[in-house]
Amino acid sequence: MSRRTYNIAMVCDFFYPQPGGVESHIYQLATKLIDRGHKVIVITHAYEDRKGIRYLTNGVKVFHVPFAIIYRSSTFPTVFSFFPLFRNIMIRERIEIVHGHATMSTLCQEAILHGRTMGLRTVFTDHSLVGFTDAGSIFTNKLLKFTLSDVDHVICVSHTGKENTVLRAALDPLMVSVIPNALVSDDFKPLPRPEPSSLPFAQHPLPAHPLGPNDTLTIVVVSRLFYNKGTDLLTAAIPRILENHPNTRFIIAGSGPKAIDLQQMIEQNVLQDKVEMLGPVRHEKVRDIMVKGHIYLHPSLTEAFGTVIVEAASCGLYVVCTAVGGIPEVLPSHMTVFAKPEENDLVAATGRAIAALRANKVRTERFHEQVKAMYSWTNVAKRTERVYRGISGDISEEEFYGADDASHWSVTRGRNFALIDRLKRYYGCGVWAGKLFCLCVVIDYLIFVFCEWWWPGDQIDIARDWPRKPPASDDD
Amino acid sequence: MFTTTPYLRIRRPSPTTAEFIVSTLPPPTMALRLSFYALYTARLIVGSLLLLFLYVAWAQSPYGTLPSPSPSASPLSIGALLAAILASRPGVLATELASKSPRTLAFELCAVALWAATRRLYTEESLLVLRGLGVQTSSSKGNILAGRATTRFIPTSKIQDIFINEAFLGFEVRHYLVIVVDDEPDVVVVFPKLLPRARVVESVWRGVKECLYERGTVGDRYVLEKKRERCGGGGARAY
Repeated sequence: MSRRTYNIAMVCDFFYPQPGGVESHIYQLATKLIDRGHKVIVITHAYEDRKGIRYLTNGVKVFHVPFAIIYRSSTFPTVFSFFPLFRNIMIRERIEIVHGHATMSTLCQEAILHGRTMGLRTVFTDHSLVGFTDAGSIFTNKLLKFTLSDVDHVICVSHTGKENTVLRAALDPLMVSVIPNALVSDDFKPLPRPEPSSLPFAQHPLPAHPLGPNDTLTIVVVSRLFYNKGTDLLTAAIPRILENHPNTRFIIAGSGPKAIDLQQMIEQNVLQDKVEMLGPVRHEKVRDIMVKGHIYLHPSLTEAFGTVIVEAASCGLYVVCTAVGGIPEVLPSHMTVFAKPEENDLVAATGRAIAALRANKVRTERFHEQVKAMYSWTNVAKRTERVYRGISGDISEEEFYGADDASHWSVTRGRNFALIDRLKRYYGCGVWAGKLFCLCVVIDYLIFVFCEWWWPGDQIDIARDWPRKPPASDDD
Repeated sequence: MFTTTPYLRIRRPSPTTAEFIVSTLPPPTMALRLSFYALYTARLIVGSLLLLFLYVAWAQSPYGTLPSPSPSASPLSIGALLAAILASRPGVLATELASKSPRTLAFELCAVALWAATRRLYTEESLLVLRGLGVQTSSSKGNILAGRATTRFIPTSKIQDIFINEAFLGFEVRHYLVIVVDDEPDVVVVFPKLLPRARVVESVWRGVKECLYERGTVGDRYVLEKKRERCGGGGARAY
């Protein structure tokens, strides 16, 4: 018996042509799901000249919905005005599952609300960690709680992310799955190594890095230069690292508001010949930059997953990173040196890494194959598909959620679409917020009824599907 | 009232010519025809009464003059005719009305009413395909006075491609047929006002491909063969 395939809509404010981690995550996941025989469309907002409906490689259909942008390419929270168009797309593409991405994307939150109103299954993927203390975070968390009060399943990219999301949105932990990011390991290959037979004399074993005692060692940093990426830490640490280890160089790629601080640091300490700043680079150039170095330094202050350190390890770099967020889960300990997110420890950790490389203790040439075995998008797609099957009831609840004895949570699972039950879930969100959210849900439902009357479902043309691939079996 | 949802008719005057007409005008029946005639007559009467009222209002204003029939002029001159009309019952009534009604508002109302009375009742858009020559798009104008239709001819040598696309329109996503023309920044949308349903657009697209390039679209050869047999007679067929 062939497995059931689904029609999935990925909804997110962040998508190509804008570069970034969430964007490539959605694209890669969509491509691999299509390879498994599903149908995937992506709904995002319009980017400058990128409007309307387009197709990407592999038949990913992208809807660039024309809406206004307010902040860092998030759309203005129009809440209800998106609903008629959203409903039209859902009907014409015969969508069964709405999969929203990223907390900061209002489009995604609205889509999950509308999707539930329309009686579709919804999944939410959280890509980021959010704090609990400042006003912005509190507001974001409240909004997230609203959206996640009535969602079928949540996916986080790391266990730290799961913990964070469960706390923020007061969710049943069993409703949250952890599916890490992945990378296209063929795009991040280390430089080809010389054939042992071509060398003038035999070395046993071949050194991981052909690094002589007086050769310079290069440290690479590829990061957007924002506060949360730890650029301040980097600014403070670079002069000290260069002082301790004169035979090292830095290559810094990326741009952002903190670039100016780095420039000032370079000029104050006269390090122009030791620190090279490349400015913004395209994602496909990242590999070419990474392979120039021996160590990858990642001073981030918060990170849900940190795809970039996986990319660096895949390029055969020894990784020095701060032990924050989901980073400690990402790579095995022999590929990384961890530091506390503070200046002294970062300098010390980098020193340890340099010493280990110089002593030729790290087998970085094996990193690529190891990373390749750990991370692949095919695997991510397979695990995501299992989530889809779980929420659609194609695998039994016990199998999907596992055995549990915390019976008080079970009310929140197996979420039905009855309006009264949805309202009950939203009402628990807070004294005032609960009532406000209920009001929103009721209005949303009324708009749905109006849409059903004004644009009857049978008047909406069904769009033709891209030719589907045969569903993949489970054990490939 | 007199229109239906847009539907497709195909005319095949010759084997190398096809015309795809999308129209909101239902197929004419006797009752429909009679009611159309009645409606046109009514609109003509309303329109002429409005014009008369406007004329009288103008004549009463400080800028206008009332026609003074000189006895020497023939009874068929314009002045004499106008005077006769004014002397008739509707003329007298109009004069009375015009002297009572506020001037500015009356003019605007009349203009709107005239525009409404000359509006076309239905929309009809068509695509004429002539093998070896090209295609002609045509779209009926909204007002009767503006003329029959806007047409545009695109020679075959200028046509890069014809395809179906999807786009956002208000709160909807619609299918539409486009012609890509050489050296033009914008594409030409076929049936721009009616934007018929996907089913119609698709059958037009197949028909155009078949008629213009004398071959079917890939993968649908069998369907097209059957279609050709059916359409070969040159009869009109409604969808």
